[in-house]
Amino acid sequence: MKKKLVWLQIALLAGCGTSIRAQENGNTDAEARRSPVLRAMLEELDRSKQQLQLQNMQRPFFIEYRIDDAADWSAGANYGALTNERDGHQRVLRVIVRVGDYAADSKFGRSDGEVQLAALDDDIPALRYALWSATDAAYKGALRAYAEKQAALKRFETPPNARDFSKEPALISIAPLQHIEIDRAEWKKRVAELSGLFTMDRGLAVFSKDIQYSNASVRAAVVNRYLVNSEGTIVRKAVVDYTAGVSAGTQADDGMHLDRSYSKSSTSAAGLEDARTMRQKATRVLETLRDLRAAPVVAEEYHGPVLLSGDASADVIRDLLLPNVVAAKPDMGTDARTRGAYASSFKGHVMPEFMSVTDDPTLAIFEGRGLTGAYQVDDEGVKGQAVPVIEKGKLTNYLIGREPVKGFPASNGHGRAPTAQAAAPSGAVLILKSSAPETPAELERKLLAIAKEGGREEVYVAETLGPHMTPRLLYRVNVKNGKRELVRGAEIDELDQRSLRSDIVAAGDDAWVTNYPGAIPVTVISPSLLFGDVTIKRANDEQHKLPYYPPPS
Amino acid sequence: MLICRRIAAIWFLTLGCIGLPSIAAMKTASATPALATDSILLDTMSRELARAMSSLGKAPAKDGAAAQPSPYFLSYVVTDAHQVSMTAQYGAISNAVENHSRVADVQVRIGDPKLDNTHGQHRASALSSVTLPLNDDRDAIARSLWWATDRGYGNALENYLQVETETKVRAKEEDNSPDFSVQQAQKADVAATATMTLDKKKWEQELRTLSAVFREYPDIYNDAVLLTLTNETDYYASSEGSSVVEPHTLARVVVVASSRAEDGMELFRAETFEAATPGNLPEEAALVAKIHRVADDLVKLRKAPVTEPFNGPAILSGRAAAVFFHEVLGHRLEGQRQRGDEEGQTFTKNLGKPILPGFLNVADDPTLETFNGIQLSGHYTYDDEGQPARRVELIQDGVLKTFLMSRLPIASFGESNGHGRAQTGRMPTGRQGNLIVTSTKSVPDAKLRQMLIAEAKKQGKPYGLYFADISSGFAVTTRRSPQAFQVLPIIVYRVYVDGRPDELVRGVSIVGTPQTVLNRIAATGDKQDVFNGECGAESGSIPVSAIAPAMLVTEIETQRQPQGNSRPPILPPPAIVGEKAREIGGAQ
Repeated sequence: MKKKLVWLQIALLAGCGTSIRAQENGNTDAEARRSPVLRAMLEELDRSKQQLQLQNMQRPFFIEYRIDDAADWSAGANYGALTNERDGHQRVLRVIVRVGDYAADSKFGRSDGEVQLAALDDDIPALRYALWSATDAAYKGALRAYAEKQAALKRFETPPNARDFSKEPALISIAPLQHIEIDRAEWKKRVAELSGLFTMDRGLAVFSKDIQYSNASVRAAVVNRYLVNSEGTIVRKAVVDYTAGVSAGTQADDGMHLDRSYSKSSTSAAGLEDARTMRQKATRVLETLRDLRAAPVVAEEYHGPVLLSGDASADVIRDLLLPNVVAAKPDMGTDARTRGAYASSFKGHVMPEFMSVTDDPTLAIFEGRGLTGAYQVDDEGVKGQAVPVIEKGKLTNYLIGREPVKGFPASNGHGRAPTAQAAAPSGAVLILKSSAPETPAELERKLLAIAKEGGREEVYVAETLGPHMTPRLLYRVNVKNGKRELVRGAEIDELDQRSLRSDIVAAGDDAWVTNYPGAIPVTVISPSLLFGDVTIKRANDEQHKLPYYPPPS
Repeated sequence: MLICRRIAAIWFLTLGCIGLPSIAAMKTASATPALATDSILLDTMSRELARAMSSLGKAPAKDGAAAQPSPYFLSYVVTDAHQVSMTAQYGAISNAVENHSRVADVQVRIGDPKLDNTHGQHRASALSSVTLPLNDDRDAIARSLWWATDRGYGNALENYLQVETETKVRAKEEDNSPDFSVQQAQKADVAATATMTLDKKKWEQELRTLSAVFREYPDIYNDAVLLTLTNETDYYASSEGSSVVEPHTLARVVVVASSRAEDGMELFRAETFEAATPGNLPEEAALVAKIHRVADDLVKLRKAPVTEPFNGPAILSGRAAAVFFHEVLGHRLEGQRQRGDEEGQTFTKNLGKPILPGFLNVADDPTLETFNGIQLSGHYTYDDEGQPARRVELIQDGVLKTFLMSRLPIASFGESNGHGRAQTGRMPTGRQGNLIVTSTKSVPDAKLRQMLIAEAKKQGKPYGLYFADISSGFAVTTRRSPQAFQVLPIIVYRVYVDGRPDELVRGVSIVGTPQTVLNRIAATGDKQDVFNGECGAESGSIPVSAIAPAMLVTEIETQRQPQGNSRPPILPPPAIVGEKAREIGGAQ
């Protein structure tokens, strides 16, 4: 009965409006073959489907060709001058050949998939030649892997609790090609200026000698991804990511390293900050660094309420929640459903009842902002579907690709792949919502109220986090007068899945959007979160010597 | 950078020793035109260097702690490199990148030349690298150099303290030479080279045409034709007062192709062409002819019989002998290999003694720009320690005279002879430039062949071997651990004593220590051949050349070496689909 419900939900989501769009774009095999790349792929795929077989060995039951036409341009500057500019364009193909069947196939270890560089020219013989060569290697690899996998399975009493590969309907979806569109000269000038702001800004003149590194960078990456498979799926889609940012660092007089950065990712150059805003953000990075140098070091240890801004919360959700709501196939020989912290949490409470989480790849724009994690079709040729992952605090779903896990036999359009690598289940656009949202002012009132109840004199508000959820801008708030004071040298402890389950006291009505760039762009939209009991303690990082001599003046 | 996997593997493994120019390390980026205002860069380097020398270790000691030592030596090497590279495979462009980078290698030495922070295993502690602005922004260059120098000083200081302690606790070292040689300051301000221009569209079309030759060969499974164009200027400044500018340009075409025999043996061929500018590279017709030759060799190799174990006479072609000498002799004559417990020290105790037959001379001459009209990859004017390049007579009349020296002294030699070389980001060590083997016992090639047959007859062998081409390392095998300085025969013929035509064989490997072959050289040919390539070792990948005549060896032991076991492709390549294809594919 439970299974049926899930199925129904997926079917409903899959049906939503997508077929209409498909027809509008002329998404047909004939249309696809107008693209030289797709034509080369389809021609070679047809030949492999018909002829590829080693004598007395099994034929492939599934073949997939993917070609990533990946263009990227980036520029970086240090201390006010451009230090690198990179303009890359490659076509990378990846071929999957599987033997066996959907129930038990040849995907085993890291053997699945053969990678080659393909012609940049739209030269059909050359493209087919590369595909042919990779197909041959992939097929031989699949035969070997199938035998090894069968042998490995014999070691276990417990048979696999899910099929190896889900069968999905054929889909033809041909999106327009995209190209990098950015004013390169302007952005090169801009990053050079931003990286040298510390010497130019009059207000920071006294501080400029303390800056140890100051850089700025911009990157535009456009991947036109072509995918065909032996089931009849033909996809052309674009993965686009524009990112620009600054970072700077200094040391406090006690040797503590202090770092600050700001960056923004979007789906177009226009979606990045304009010159004026970027300058403001960069100035704030420098000002907060200056303030951090003078800030007191956090006290030994604090246990109590902590308010995380939407920015900080998005990072926490990305680190603590997202990896655990994807359905990663468990290790062979176990009866686990997935891997990760929520492997046995299906239908259980993982957040408070007022919290819900949905992942919706089809949400391309939110409050006017382009979301880099969004897509219509995933990287295994399955329609992206909005999946309610956590409903009223209960884990009701996993984000899954074409590799089923127990109870989840089909993809919900979350199979995603970096260039040259295998697809794996991943988040796309993860949205956190509270059924009882509160304004920032209410949240802060609540924070202080909890503190007063516990007889505390101070509490903490984290505005931004660095890598590994290390606070970069952390404020100590005086409970009596509400005054905020910047502190340094802290780390957050005991903020984990248990905190998400039972320690979120309230959530804001704000919705902070973070586009995380990377090989698989992901977007997290999160409100501010107030936690009841988090540890803030002193980070015992190495405090290196200060510079042995001053920088040139 | 991703390139087709099999070829990538070849490139990677080739790095173990001499090989073809590596494309693996190339970065993709676009170029900014070279600037003529070199003086700003060199001037900023000198000023910042002087400021560092007058600041570091000069602060008064705090709270009774010992004052920090000043560096006794500081150098900046800035490599300004423009590179264009493009690759075609099977008639289509698969990669085209341009890159402009400026990287500074900062070397800080604390202590004194006798004992400093680079001692023993701490050699790399002197070096830190930083990316510099692409334009001549004085402030940003100075601040970048400051940052790297400060970091480098901290690292040098820490290592110097370790060295001091280790030296006190350890027994006396076998070779207690100083850590750094004292050399005269060098001044050479050469005008920076003009930017090499490349008609990209024309060359892309050219590469398409060249690599399309492989479409005629269904049994060649991987191919690539690469063009690389390097325009590099190195700026060197040191606290000794040196200031050197060393420009360098090179245009190079590399052709690589591979196939597999029916039994799975991997087969590989390559050719390179070098010139100072793209315009001086060979004409298209000549390149096409060479590519056909490469392809034909592979096709013949596929059908060639597998070798049998053999112990008898052989001829190494000039090209094969050049690679052989580079790998087997040249690397063992690098100065630093004579010092340190980890080193082989093969020839350390042989100084002044014969190590080759008396009719052979070996020199390394980086000052040589061309040889018989062929551009030499290993040419330079100043080495990477700012020392002038010098011709060095390594072996005279078979007797070992000296080693390839960087500024790292050894017991027998205290000074550099202009062979301190390194890839950007590595500490220089003694390396080869243009290794030149000459002979006073040379005969025309036809005569050498007669001598081979006579020798085989004398030894009662049905044939002698002719090594037409030798590659290095395990470039074409599936072995995962490339052994440095090994040699792998690629094209080997049996030369029968009974007058039968020569017979190509495959799968030949040389048994035993290759050096023993050096002492069995009986005579040489009278024409020298050139091998141009990239050489990888501890101090990174550098361009080198080796020149040698053909050589008759009285005894060489070979055996069959398995080289891969994957079967050839199941389907024929797509371009030749049809009836003809079925015959070739075979495995339906």
